[in-house]
Amino acid sequence: MRSRRLKKLKLTILFIPAWLWAQQTVAPTTDAPVGPVRGQDAGDYNIVQSWELGYRFATIGGDQDLYRSDVNYGDGIRLLGSSLTVNSRDGHGRWLDSLSLTTQGLGGDPYQSVNLRAEKNGLYEYDMTWRDNAYFNPGLAIAGGQHLMNTNYKWQDHDLTLLPQNWFRIHMGYSRVAQDGPALSTQQVFGSQGPVFPLFSNISEQFNEYRLGGDVRARGFKLTILHRWQYFREDSSQYQSGPVPGLLNPSPSAATLTSYQQSQPYRGQTPAWFGNLYYERKWVAVDARFNYAGGRGSFLQNEVAMGLDRFGAAQNQQIAVAGTGDRPITSGDLNITLFPASRFNLLTEMSVSDVRMNGSNSFTQLNYNTLSLATLNFQFLGIRLLTGSATAHYRFSKKLNVFAGFQYSDRQIRSIEDTTSPGFPFAGIAAEQVDLLRAGTAGFNWMAAKNLQVHGEAEIGRDNNPFTPVSLRNEHGIRANVRYRLKSLSLTGAYQENYNNNSIAITAYSSHARTYSANATWSPTSRVSVDASYSKLHLDTIGGISFFAATGFATSFYPNQQSIYISNIHAANLDVRFAATKRLDLFAGYNITRDAGDGRSAIAVQPNPVTQLLYSVQTFPLTYQSPFARISWRLQENLRFNVGYQYYGYGEDFGLPGYRQGYRAHTGYTSLLWSF
Amino acid sequence: MATGYAAPANTQYVGSLACKACHPEVWSTFFRNAHFKSVAMKKEDPAHTGCEGCHGPGGAHVASYGGRKNIRVFSQLTPAETTAVCLECHAKDLPRANIYASEHTQADVVCTSCHSIHHSSGPRFLLAKQQAELCYQCHEGVRSQFAMPARHRVDEGAMTCSDCHNPHGSFAATWGMGTNQTMQQAAFDVEQPCLRCHTDKRGPLVFEHASVRVEGCTACHFAHGSTNTKLLRRPVVFTLCLECHNGAGTFGRETASVYSTPFSHNLLDPRYQRCTLCHVRIHGSNSDPMFLR
Repeated sequence: MRSRRLKKLKLTILFIPAWLWAQQTVAPTTDAPVGPVRGQDAGDYNIVQSWELGYRFATIGGDQDLYRSDVNYGDGIRLLGSSLTVNSRDGHGRWLDSLSLTTQGLGGDPYQSVNLRAEKNGLYEYDMTWRDNAYFNPGLAIAGGQHLMNTNYKWQDHDLTLLPQNWFRIHMGYSRVAQDGPALSTQQVFGSQGPVFPLFSNISEQFNEYRLGGDVRARGFKLTILHRWQYFREDSSQYQSGPVPGLLNPSPSAATLTSYQQSQPYRGQTPAWFGNLYYERKWVAVDARFNYAGGRGSFLQNEVAMGLDRFGAAQNQQIAVAGTGDRPITSGDLNITLFPASRFNLLTEMSVSDVRMNGSNSFTQLNYNTLSLATLNFQFLGIRLLTGSATAHYRFSKKLNVFAGFQYSDRQIRSIEDTTSPGFPFAGIAAEQVDLLRAGTAGFNWMAAKNLQVHGEAEIGRDNNPFTPVSLRNEHGIRANVRYRLKSLSLTGAYQENYNNNSIAITAYSSHARTYSANATWSPTSRVSVDASYSKLHLDTIGGISFFAATGFATSFYPNQQSIYISNIHAANLDVRFAATKRLDLFAGYNITRDAGDGRSAIAVQPNPVTQLLYSVQTFPLTYQSPFARISWRLQENLRFNVGYQYYGYGEDFGLPGYRQGYRAHTGYTSLLWSF
Repeated sequence: MATGYAAPANTQYVGSLACKACHPEVWSTFFRNAHFKSVAMKKEDPAHTGCEGCHGPGGAHVASYGGRKNIRVFSQLTPAETTAVCLECHAKDLPRANIYASEHTQADVVCTSCHSIHHSSGPRFLLAKQQAELCYQCHEGVRSQFAMPARHRVDEGAMTCSDCHNPHGSFAATWGMGTNQTMQQAAFDVEQPCLRCHTDKRGPLVFEHASVRVEGCTACHFAHGSTNTKLLRRPVVFTLCLECHNGAGTFGRETASVYSTPFSHNLLDPRYQRCTLCHVRIHGSNSDPMFLR
């Protein structure tokens, strides 16, 4: 019996990674088992480890910038992945009882990470996450490719808990987010309707957070207090030397920038307090929370520009800005759950938050030619939000339970803002809006048959005064899913529909989103697994817009126009894993995302330029697909050879104004995965 | 949604070593399991220690040489019973008030739907699968969003779902209307989750783009993935901006309305179709209410 169970255990462990392989092949393969399943004993510890070292390659045709934005894998030797776990066998190690280290993509991949966890029972727990992402964006749709970023994002989080199993615990932590690297940007200078110039930008941003707190448990209560010290700094700069012409200049277009330098250091700090109180009894659970974050930022901006404006007049301009901005955020929450009977429970949630944005800001633009000044100062934005909900659950039987709830939100937004010239008082134009949302939800969970679970819910909401024309106003949603699970077969299906209609005096906006999805996972034996899914995401929106446009010499106002957008996305993936022999695993898959748009095959000619422009942006059909395959060959018990290939193909069926993109990329890797 | 679970009548605890005799495949690697610390520490009572901490007293089970009717078998529990058993210990860190209010619990998605105590995929959190795969098994539509050309890098392993979501339930949001927030995990306990990484958008900025602060990032961006660059809700930027800046609002200083585009902005001029060519600080600025610098 024992040997049969051990065999079952080995099969189970071999079987588990099949699930994990349902991912992009260019990702690491360290989940493939190498080395002894039970690990190796070293003194009082047991060690399980694997390391995957390999070489990546990528050959790209077409728009390389877009490939870098979407995928970004390149060439080179990488430690594709690694995993190390060390456990004390009796739970009484001297310095640690458990250590877990995993890495991914070290050595140059665009997505690198390291996770470390170490703990000593009863003494400490330490968690660390480090991530480095190479970020590239050509910014085509937002600024015609004039905003390009080629930066690195780096994150690290450290959390240390002392006395983790005690009634009294101490928490310490440190987090850091940094972004740096080159970018291209634009700047409008020499007047509010002046020319726009391309600029080089050097991004440098850092965020640091230190945390210290503790919690105490006694008599059903748990109290947590945490203080955060947060610091943000930005030292990005923009510059351009040598004459450059303006971009898409207004007529006349003599504009030239001969010299430009801008620096805008920013320093922000947010001291924050967090308090949390739990209370647990058999018939009631209470969770109360308080937060205060007193954000404050101080900034300078110095901009010097010289050149010719669009009329050819010499310009020598300096802009100096200095000031501070404050944003205290205060919030409180109270969740109470009552369990008055074994079949019935009642949940209530109440929250209040207050965000106040205010600052003293002096904006001074000095024109050296005319010696004129313009000043703008001060803005206030305050948001107060009250929310509450109550939900009742009732269980009719082990197979059926239902729930129904009501929620409300009451939001007040206030603003004070104005522009003024030097010597004139600041008047301040105040605005206030109150916004009330009422929504009801209801749903059920039904075990229709053994292993067959059905969930359905619906929601309807009304907002009397939404903040923007695209916000929720008259909305309803339906969600339903069906799950059928056996040990070797899993079938799921889901449907979700959200509808919003926001009709206001001048315009109307409506959005209708539907998502249909289905998934099947089948593992008939430990040697074969198949995972297939399909989703259809359908979105129709229509919004009222108005704008000015000039056809010929006449500029006309176009009210009551319609912005229509139709997205009809079909997405599918298929992953198959097959253990051909005891030593050889094959894995193949295919992912495709296709937006069929509104069904048209090309942009048809419209009767006038305005109609043509709106017609051309109503839909954006494209295809993004990625077939892949991988072979993993176990050379020895502790050594595997892997080879993988993945194709990325992207193509737009027809272009939006001014550009059309596509690329074909062949990527892959070979690697050795071993444990020693 | 019952909270209690009626354990088998037998209340005799026999200790984990008794389980080892018939379940060696579980016990032999149990020292790697996070629950093993309850055995090693020897501080908890028998009802909260080792095998019997979860499976209940094993006296009758041992006496009858096994069987499924005389011990707690999780595959036979209802979702509500499973939740109740796990929270007997874990409620000290995962408060029941939030767990029961979560959309997961509402949909009968309980602890064992995601966590595999004896066959976890990795040492952290005893997840049954890699986290994204785990979430995709129910959120199939989200899987397809993360396979779109513009996306957050979840499939690549650079992010996880729990960077932005709290699967165990969270408090109401402080942005938007505070509802329909799909279990988002607030950054720094109180702000939009996006700001945890995009710290440069956090401010405070003297001139906030009010829709960003009031409605949240999702007013303009999809959170998971999009066929549009920068995860925008529209393929070109002017359609996105004009849907709000159409003069139809009822808030702000411009004659009590949202800014509409001025007379000088000829929409047929490519320069004015690319709003952020000039409005470069669109998320908020310290020096310009129009976000020009």
